[in-house]
Amino acid sequence: MPLNIDWQQILLHLLNFVILFTGLWFLLYKPVRAFMQKRREHYEKMDAEAAKKNAEAEEKRAAYEEKLAHAENEIAEKRRQAEKQAAEYSERQRRETDELARNIVADARQDAARIKAQATKEARAQIASIVTDAVGKIVLEDTASEAFDQFLDAVDAQADAAGAPAAPDAAGAQAENKKDE
Amino acid sequence: MTKKQTCIFLGVVAVVIAALIVGIVLTDGLYVKDSTIQDTMKDAVLHEGDKISLFGLAVNPGLISAFVVTGIILVFAAVVRIFVIPRFKLVPGKFQMLLEQAVGLFDGLAKSNSPHRNDFLGAYVFAAGAYIFIGTLFELFGVPAVTAAGMSVILPAPLSDINGAIALGCLSYLVILSGGIVSNKLRGVGRTLKEFSLPISMSFRLFGALLSGMLVTELVYYYLALSFVLPVIVGVLFTVLHALIQTYVLTMLTTLFYGEVSEPYVRKPKKQRKKKGAPETEPAA
Repeated sequence: MPLNIDWQQILLHLLNFVILFTGLWFLLYKPVRAFMQKRREHYEKMDAEAAKKNAEAEEKRAAYEEKLAHAENEIAEKRRQAEKQAAEYSERQRRETDELARNIVADARQDAARIKAQATKEARAQIASIVTDAVGKIVLEDTASEAFDQFLDAVDAQADAAGAPAAPDAAGAQAENKKDE
Repeated sequence: MTKKQTCIFLGVVAVVIAALIVGIVLTDGLYVKDSTIQDTMKDAVLHEGDKISLFGLAVNPGLISAFVVTGIILVFAAVVRIFVIPRFKLVPGKFQMLLEQAVGLFDGLAKSNSPHRNDFLGAYVFAAGAYIFIGTLFELFGVPAVTAAGMSVILPAPLSDINGAIALGCLSYLVILSGGIVSNKLRGVGRTLKEFSLPISMSFRLFGALLSGMLVTELVYYYLALSFVLPVIVGVLFTVLHALIQTYVLTMLTTLFYGEVSEPYVRKPKKQRKKKGAPETEPAA
């Protein structure tokens, strides 16, 4: 053959290259490509997750911005509600206080009336007792004038004890009469 | 004498000594070659006088180079598969990045040029690219071998042997043909056969490119006077450039033609015939 072309050697070269091709495919090309593919998928997955999180964050940001836009109205509304509640509370408190004051006054009046009635009753009983004592003494022991004086002294003493004003004119006249005698 | 002056003096002395040695070597009749430049070139192309015995079979040195290169690549791949790939990290180191770049380069080439069918193609061009690149760089190491005649020979690049180039060129054509058959059945065969000159052009392009590099190197080394400094550029730079360019050319051509023949057929819409009695529409003003 021209140029030293030899079919047998061509076939040997072919055999050599086929062995090389097969070996390189399974030993180097396929595993490296598989690794690269795996890594690409890994980063694509990460990228997709990042994009998803980004979208969520964007959504939240939009929601917050919308909320912020309506915040002033919400604040005004809440302020109105708070003022209304405060007014209602204040009114209720005032009513309760008035009611309590009325009750206290009514109770005080009742107590005062009861005390007055009791004091009057006790005073009458004491006066009656004093009068009874005085009349007994006048009738049983001395003269009428002495008895009367004693009576007047007893009345004065009773009046001083009860805080009531004494009968100055009668007592003073009695005293003058005694001096004259 | 300062330290700087001493250094300059020693440097000048070293240069003078080197120049004298070069002069002595160049004027010595011992280094005159026996064979002519024509014989050297002919041996480099045809390998008639430097056959190597492979289990009793006389083969070109390029075939031995091919076996050695394949062995090196497979051992490297096995070591990488066992010790490196299981320790791959999400953030790659330098070596992992190199491997990923190599695989990604050919994978991307296959995907971009043949978007419809590219799994097998990517693996094929990866293997072909690695074989051409490493095989071409292999000649830089100057691995020696013994010929059947008992002479010493430096193993050349596997594809500088015309048989190797024909094998790879024809195999690439068969791969393209297989892509056409799998994708478009008979139409794919037709598309591939349309490019009947492809196996020849691919084979001889590869052979010619690598052989020319080898011939230039042989030429440079033949003359002793050219054997200083120049081989650094010719030998290394040209070889590296050849390796890169031929790898790119063959893989690019293979993927392009593969993509072309495996492209799904789209039926062209038929032109509607005008009825004889129908009035012709006037062109818009």
